[in-house]
Amino acid sequence: MTSRMLGIGFLSPAIISVCIFFLLPVLLTVVFAFTNMSTSTGIMGGDYRINTEQLRSLPDLDVSEATVERLETAGFQITEAGLTALADQFSKDTAEELREDYLGETFESRRDLERVLKDLDEPIRRTRDRKEAADLFAVTLIGERFGTEEEFRAALGTTGIDAVDHDVLTEFAYTGWTWTTDNFSLLMELPSTLRYAANTAFYVVATLTFNILFGLFLAISTFYLPGRLANTFRAIWFLPRILPPVLYVLMWNWFTWDNGFIATVMGWFGVPAKNWMMHTSTHAWTAIVLINGFVGASLGMILFSSAIKAIPTSMLYASEVDGANRWQQVRYIILPQMRWPILFMTSYQTLSLLTSFEYILLATDGGPGRSTEVWALAAFHTALNNYGGNLQYGFGAAYALVLVFIGIALSVAYLRFFNFKELLSKPRIEQ
Amino acid sequence: MTAHPRIWHLVLILSIFSTPLVIMYVYQVIDSIASPDPGSLIPGEIDLSNWRFLWERIDMGRPSIWMVTFNTFIFASTTAFLVTLLSTTAGYALSRLDMPGRPYFLGGLIILHAFPTITLIIAIFIILQFLGLFDTLLGIILVKAALELPFGVWIMKGFYDTVPWEIEMAGVQDGASRFRVWWELVLPQVKPGLAALLIISFLSGWSEFVLPLVLAPGSSTQVLSTYMNAVIQDDASADFGLFKAIGMFYSIPVIVIYLVFQKQLMNIYGGGTKG
Repeated sequence: MTSRMLGIGFLSPAIISVCIFFLLPVLLTVVFAFTNMSTSTGIMGGDYRINTEQLRSLPDLDVSEATVERLETAGFQITEAGLTALADQFSKDTAEELREDYLGETFESRRDLERVLKDLDEPIRRTRDRKEAADLFAVTLIGERFGTEEEFRAALGTTGIDAVDHDVLTEFAYTGWTWTTDNFSLLMELPSTLRYAANTAFYVVATLTFNILFGLFLAISTFYLPGRLANTFRAIWFLPRILPPVLYVLMWNWFTWDNGFIATVMGWFGVPAKNWMMHTSTHAWTAIVLINGFVGASLGMILFSSAIKAIPTSMLYASEVDGANRWQQVRYIILPQMRWPILFMTSYQTLSLLTSFEYILLATDGGPGRSTEVWALAAFHTALNNYGGNLQYGFGAAYALVLVFIGIALSVAYLRFFNFKELLSKPRIEQ
Repeated sequence: MTAHPRIWHLVLILSIFSTPLVIMYVYQVIDSIASPDPGSLIPGEIDLSNWRFLWERIDMGRPSIWMVTFNTFIFASTTAFLVTLLSTTAGYALSRLDMPGRPYFLGGLIILHAFPTITLIIAIFIILQFLGLFDTLLGIILVKAALELPFGVWIMKGFYDTVPWEIEMAGVQDGASRFRVWWELVLPQVKPGLAALLIISFLSGWSEFVLPLVLAPGSSTQVLSTYMNAVIQDDASADFGLFKAIGMFYSIPVIVIYLVFQKQLMNIYGGGTKG
């Protein structure tokens, strides 16, 4: 077997799954961002239908009054469905007689049909009843479902609606999704857009700063501690990274909620119990930065620790012989060696913080109000989980598209950070 | 490093910062078996009623914990198996096999490795609906495995890169096919990598929350993360004893793996993973 064939065979399962769950979603995010897809339009396309509630908004579309009237009642026809309803609500005999003499016949106006009903051998006697009975036979487009545009247009034609209004009505009646750029103009208009962007910027900068500074502190300080003590602290700080997010945030909830730890301890000093996570937006932001920061610092500690271990001990001993104190050792030997890990950590964390919302969703869910709603969480709330119940996939995809673009741009930029040439060294067996 | 005589101030600062975490860990364990009285932090008598979710439904309409645990196990282990399988072959191809377009695949891998997959969840949600895999375990297994794949391939490629070329050269000289060389000579060399990747993807699947929340919201496909979240969301009285007992139960495999493989895990996570 040639290595070329083997390579393709070995790679193709991974490539197929990458195509389905990376490339296709990226393309579809672009596509969906230009649609008005939502729960109410569905995702599979739709049909054509106008219901009674929609009738009221029709005059706004510059549809003539005659058309609206025509939509409501386009004449009367004696049909089996109508007859069954008549038999149920009035009398079987009347229905039977009507079926024999008039089945299939149409009447232009209600008055014509009412006259027929009056003149039957088994007539409907009261005027009001006749009116109701006639309504059972009204021909109307309202509430009726049409599978295709042709069917709907044909129906508009046969009910005698002015051809001028056909296009407007067809567009109006379509229940599926359509192409639109409204999502982006909406993003430009809504004041919340700027708010979410500012929230995201603050969240990323604050958390990242905490991660790096605290991660460095943990790595350097545990480096100077004797082995057992250092391992204890590393173990304490490694756990947040490995615990399931739901459990990790639960521990924070217990720590900060109004029947939790802080509230209990503060209660001993007479401070009334309150939710220390959600009380004000400052509380919420502090909690969010710490919750994410502890996890990030955990990663930082591990990365920086292994980088410190890679520093030749002879350098450190030499500096001690030269009389450098601890601080000078950190400042002039350890920190300069940290440049690459810090750069790596910054680039990776920027991207993952920009787009992650798991811990925020679990902790504050964007609250109180919308004060901790970041961009990625807004996309999630818009498209996948909101209280209104109408999930706006299209609008959510527009939010996500911004992140997808940033994600692609940044990860392509990171290609440069890696030593790409080294990666490309040719396999040796073929040489 | 030589032990410095005055490290107590360093220990003090570290301890102060670590206190909140330690308190959380300690009370996570204590509260699950003995809830203190309100307003007090001293644990009362041992009380196992927080663990009642194991032998009864905590409320109607919630699936049994054992079915949820079974789902979680199937989800995490199948994902781990798939990721490891595909990464083992793809990693070898990228590391050792000369083939057309290799630079592009490598570049693509680095981009994918850094790319934040969570931004794709809206599109994936709709794709699964199209495919009829929405709200099925199979659906979230495929998605999770695919999203973990760049990380897995990256790790496995790293392990293959450290295998000496001489081993393969010798095999090829003796007339074995590249496939046989891989299967009989190279694969045994990367066994630690396979084990590490299996463990890490299992942990990642076990902890996964957003994917099942969005892509498998039904009660028959619930996993422990969504189960626990639903219990927390639906309970108006914030019964932390119950939550923590569920959390303990949920994290048993994580804690066990952590205690056994702590050192190896730190090494792997230090090897440049997603943050």
